[in-house]
Amino acid sequence: MAIDREKIIGDLSRLYISGDENGLIPAYGVLLQQMPASFWNNFTSRILTTAPDELTEAAEMLLENAAAECGYYTGYGIVQSEEFKAVVMPMVEERPADILRGLYGVFGAWGWADAEVVELEPARRMVVHARHYYEAKTPNISRPCAYMVRGVSRAFMDLAYGGPYPNGLGRFRCQQTMGIEVGDPYGEFVVTPQ
Amino acid sequence: MKTTSWNQYSELTSAGATVGFEPVCHFDRELKQHSVGGEQSVVHCHHYITLFTQMASDAEHLDGPMHLTDAAAESFYRVLKRYIATRGITLIPDRIAVAEAYFSFCGLGKIRFVCCGESAVATLSRSHIDDGWLRRWGQRDKPVNYMGAGFIKAALAVTFDLSDWQDIRVTESASIVCGAPESEFTASWRMERHGD
Repeated sequence: MAIDREKIIGDLSRLYISGDENGLIPAYGVLLQQMPASFWNNFTSRILTTAPDELTEAAEMLLENAAAECGYYTGYGIVQSEEFKAVVMPMVEERPADILRGLYGVFGAWGWADAEVVELEPARRMVVHARHYYEAKTPNISRPCAYMVRGVSRAFMDLAYGGPYPNGLGRFRCQQTMGIEVGDPYGEFVVTPQ
Repeated sequence: MKTTSWNQYSELTSAGATVGFEPVCHFDRELKQHSVGGEQSVVHCHHYITLFTQMASDAEHLDGPMHLTDAAAESFYRVLKRYIATRGITLIPDRIAVAEAYFSFCGLGKIRFVCCGESAVATLSRSHIDDGWLRRWGQRDKPVNYMGAGFIKAALAVTFDLSDWQDIRVTESASIVCGAPESEFTASWRMERHGD
């Protein structure tokens, strides 16, 4: 059975989450939260439009890195979860490539983007196309700014091919080659080894 | 319609509230987008928010903490304002209850407001950001919950029909991440009065 991304999204998007009696959402080995997408975009816009030119690249790197750490640690917890084992693992024929593809179903189920792997050379190169990603609505930024998609994509590649967890983070990098925010029909993200 | 007596100098809390936060949650299968109370919503983990917070803290010379606070205030204000407007919630205790429940719904912790005149104290017995920060880096000597300050601005502006959340001053006076058993924020503002 090949990875059925729509089925994964359909099944996992039904798992609505909200805080427990402490107002916290402990899951997948981390604490989760759900906030308006505009919060993340507003901060990105404000910090990038305030930073002087010489600090812009560093700020972009930090935004991407925040997503990479999120994707790496939470992604690992997701793969270990009962939900992932129940919904995704029965579809897995080829490890770790299908697990990687399955993670993009989670990507959609969590509302990050409608993203899928369109090319994969194991451990060498992955191309992801993403539609409807919330970062495309980041105000006042006129260049590709999907730092979350970039960071999580390279983190997923780290999980798949970066070596034993938790020592594989940072083995891959991600370049955004297209973006809805700059007029393209979708975002394109190319992940390759560092 | 005039809301209840915000200008009385007695304590106002969510005690006796008759409503909570029960939003319409929707997942758009076509767009792969969640919405909570009509606002696009995304799930992230404590690593993400604590790294954003650290970035804001490191960028203090660029008003990083203020940017995080303002980004939160702007976004949460919109959700809360829409929620009380669409449901016709006018009583102050009910509005406070909605804000408190929304905070917990989001997974941000447990918050309680005590409002008095043109000031308020917000106490967090649990805090997503503080818990997340402690997990990653342990204690530090300065508070980190800039996002929480923004939520408090939004909640108070909506509760008391203030025209601009930016006029509310919020200070984190005690912090879990600094070793306090609870985080505490003090807030103050000036109501608009005729003739001001």
